[in-house]
Amino acid sequence: MSVNRSRLFLIGLAVLLMAAVVVVVGQSLVADREPARVLPVAEATPTLPSEAGMYARAARAVDYAAMPTEPNRKRTLAAFYARRASLGAPPVIPHPVEERDASGKTCLACHGDGGWVPRFEAYTPVTPHPELTSCRQCHVPLAGSESGMRGSTSTGQITQPPALRGGVMPGSPPPIPHGLEMRENCRACHAGPGAVDALRTTHPERVSCRQCHALGAPPAAAFARPPEGGAR
Amino acid sequence: MNRREALRALAATAAMSAAEATFPGVLFRGGGGASTAGAQTPPAEAGVVWRKTPCRFCGVGCGLLVGISNGRAVAVKGDPTSPVNLGLGCVKGYHSVMALYGKDRLTQALVRKDGKLTPVPMKEALDLVAAKMAETIKAHGKDAVAMYGSGQWTIPDGYVASKLMKGAIGTNNLEANARLCMASAVTGFMTSFGLDEPMGCYEDIDHADVFVLWGNNMAEMHPVLFSRLLERRLKNPEVKIIDLATRWTRTSMAADRSILFKPQTDLAIANAICHEILRNDWVNAAFVRNHVSFHEGKTNIGYGLEDKFAFKDEPKTITLERYRELLAEYAVEKVEALSGVPARELRYLASLYADPKKKVMSFWCMGFNQHTRGTWINNLIYNIHLLVGKIATPGNSPFSLTGQPSACGTVREVGTLTHRLPHGDVTDEKARKQAAEIWQVPLERIAPKPTYHTVEMFRALDRGDIRFMWIQVTNPMVTMPKLRRYRDALKKDDRFIVVSDVYPTPTTDVADVVLPAAMWIEREGMWGNSERRTQHFDKMLTPPGEAMSDAWQMIEVARRMGFEKLFPWTEANHIPEIWREYSRFQAGPEHEMASYDELRRRPGVLWPFVNGKETKWRYNGQYDPAAKGPFDFYGKPDRRAWIWFRPYEAPPEMPDAQYPFWLNTGRVVEHWHSGSLTRRVPVLHNAVPAAYVELHPADARKLGIANGQRVRLTTRRGGLVLPAQIDGRARPPEGQVFVPFFDEGYLINELTLDAFCPISGQPDYKKCAVKVERA
Repeated sequence: MSVNRSRLFLIGLAVLLMAAVVVVVGQSLVADREPARVLPVAEATPTLPSEAGMYARAARAVDYAAMPTEPNRKRTLAAFYARRASLGAPPVIPHPVEERDASGKTCLACHGDGGWVPRFEAYTPVTPHPELTSCRQCHVPLAGSESGMRGSTSTGQITQPPALRGGVMPGSPPPIPHGLEMRENCRACHAGPGAVDALRTTHPERVSCRQCHALGAPPAAAFARPPEGGAR
Repeated sequence: MNRREALRALAATAAMSAAEATFPGVLFRGGGGASTAGAQTPPAEAGVVWRKTPCRFCGVGCGLLVGISNGRAVAVKGDPTSPVNLGLGCVKGYHSVMALYGKDRLTQALVRKDGKLTPVPMKEALDLVAAKMAETIKAHGKDAVAMYGSGQWTIPDGYVASKLMKGAIGTNNLEANARLCMASAVTGFMTSFGLDEPMGCYEDIDHADVFVLWGNNMAEMHPVLFSRLLERRLKNPEVKIIDLATRWTRTSMAADRSILFKPQTDLAIANAICHEILRNDWVNAAFVRNHVSFHEGKTNIGYGLEDKFAFKDEPKTITLERYRELLAEYAVEKVEALSGVPARELRYLASLYADPKKKVMSFWCMGFNQHTRGTWINNLIYNIHLLVGKIATPGNSPFSLTGQPSACGTVREVGTLTHRLPHGDVTDEKARKQAAEIWQVPLERIAPKPTYHTVEMFRALDRGDIRFMWIQVTNPMVTMPKLRRYRDALKKDDRFIVVSDVYPTPTTDVADVVLPAAMWIEREGMWGNSERRTQHFDKMLTPPGEAMSDAWQMIEVARRMGFEKLFPWTEANHIPEIWREYSRFQAGPEHEMASYDELRRRPGVLWPFVNGKETKWRYNGQYDPAAKGPFDFYGKPDRRAWIWFRPYEAPPEMPDAQYPFWLNTGRVVEHWHSGSLTRRVPVLHNAVPAAYVELHPADARKLGIANGQRVRLTTRRGGLVLPAQIDGRARPPEGQVFVPFFDEGYLINELTLDAFCPISGQPDYKKCAVKVERA
């Protein structure tokens, strides 16, 4: 009986293998007949620091637009600012971490793509720069965060947060009030379930953000014509 | 909200401006469709009236709603009823009204006295302009005066200019800056189809499966249309965007595939695609048999670098077989070596164009048009679409984009170019007769020979063949190639230069008279965008000081010169009267214009507008009232579209041992043209306050240049020192640098070459040889 069973198994395996061969060869033959369908070749494409994130996560735009607002969010604007010492400073880590978790892989498990974390009963914020994986180089645990998620414990802020939604005319698209270094990926902070409500875009389905939102900082001197009106 | 609802919401938000969404209920409640319907609908918010206008800036021609309060423009939103932009704008559009209120706005006329521009009453300045113009004609002949206008002229401005120069004075010395931005698009259309302007419209975007962008950084230059492409792809993930370019940009980043090619080799690439289509027998045989004829013209056609350069093509009709033989040179392997584009990419491109299941749209703008073989490359892209029969049907659309709000409406349609009349060419007796009849001038008055295109016109001014030039709504002292020669020309003692503008510029700096102009919605007018859409705007604001519309300035001068009978209108009625008169030129199913009332009612109307219906696809019998049969390319005598064999020819100047880099110039999303408007808008100026030179990081390393360091650029025409930008907005390939031209503080056009396409007369701002050093 057991001999029969193993024979059956072997025959079954052979049949499966043959079927797989037929499928693979057949597909390649069909593919050959298709007009010049060349597979895209992965090429080294440049990364422009200030531009790189323009279209990152754009494929999720439709889902972001459909996303419900989470009631009673803990991740408030006050908490968001409290974790940053200044404009552009790396936020501190408000939850317990262990030294063996120091690899980027561990952090990215939650912060790479976001998602619901039952332990903290919250959506995880997404990093705008998943390509940088030495996270603890810049992000350090907040003292006292050993147990659970901390609220708005101050990090000792040195700059005022920018005014929100400050278009220069009523209704005009507000310029970007912060630098873009490592935060060029707009959707990481301004869309998706992990984003702070007050920072969320009202129109995540519009993916070409800097079509309308100009870089607003740091301010340049007011325009003045060069003295001669000609070349400097 | 589920995903399906979200997709629906995406369409809905397309009909709601981003601005509105940013401030729900604050100022915009009750806005939207209702406020456009009558332009004078009562405001939903206290004191703010929303009125419709096309955007002041680029050729996309977005419909905007401008909020007016207490006689001032205080806000902007996208017009949700505009089929162009469906409620969305770009950063320039949303801040456009701030360009009306710059601190140094010109509000009074200036006349040069003892070398200094001195304020005078407008009346006195107009007297002087008329006297000087008449005096120059008397002393040197009518071809010694010239008018240089713009694709930012309204249609009435251009019409008055044409009537004044060609009908009243009788000279063909009328040109416009659109010569520098779309002349090759026009000659491309004329040689391939016999009629100007695209067969399709923006709605093609909603039907296409593949978008191929040729040398067109659409994400920055035509951002609202690019957003329509992105939206199309978001809803239909199988849609592909292919970026073919000489520089890595935002557009490359958003594209599904980015293909970089060596400058000028677009000619070879387009031919390679055609070669591949023929080789694989992917030709739409029935379409080609019934609707296409084959032609070749002269080769080795020159570059126009010398004064009084002249060129006349000698078209020959050929067979498909002869065309196939001529294309033999362009096998993908050969073109790979020339262009740097791998053969497999060329095959891929050809397969996209040829795939019978895919609708393909091609876009291009300055990369093609500012090209010493600009006409040819325009022809070549039509060849591809014609061979596979993907043209003039929804979603199959070779689409030539433009950069100015009325390059099409005014310069191309009214014909403010040396060889054109409002309908037809000056060389055509029928066209001259029509103009003489409508204008009620003697037929002999209208000169039958074109004089100078823009570059030659400035050369004639330099030589002294032209003594008087009136420049309106444009800034040639930033935008002319090989700028020094032409600036020196304008500065010559016995040249009289009149400039009408809204701000002081390097061009007003060298003027003898400066006339303050009313801008955009400070006067009434119409513009025509890239998709044949004519858009009307009312006078909504009072111009500052003595500022006056360009059209009215010309009418005032014409009257002083004794031509008052040709311009009998009042300030109140001149726009509708001009529109009625101009529309007579375009009467007929091929170019019928909407009535004045229709234009005021709608956010814009596509021509031909026949029996109350817009024509979305020309040459297609299903949509075009002028077409007989399924397809009818009625612009050509054989009623066929013409495929031209056009070879690859090298540009006149290429990098060499002494000048080893390519110099490319262009724009950024925040600034428009020479920056005279956008730099007065603090948000835009702040975002990009000055020009820079983009370098590839490897080149920068080799030259020891760090980001922000000063770099000296030198060409055979001149030198310039400006800061380096490495991996900022874009990255040119190794061996190429890029400089935006908006900054009058860094006049990059002192370095560019004034070589032009012999057929169109349009210069190439994208290619010359430059030396790059650490300063």
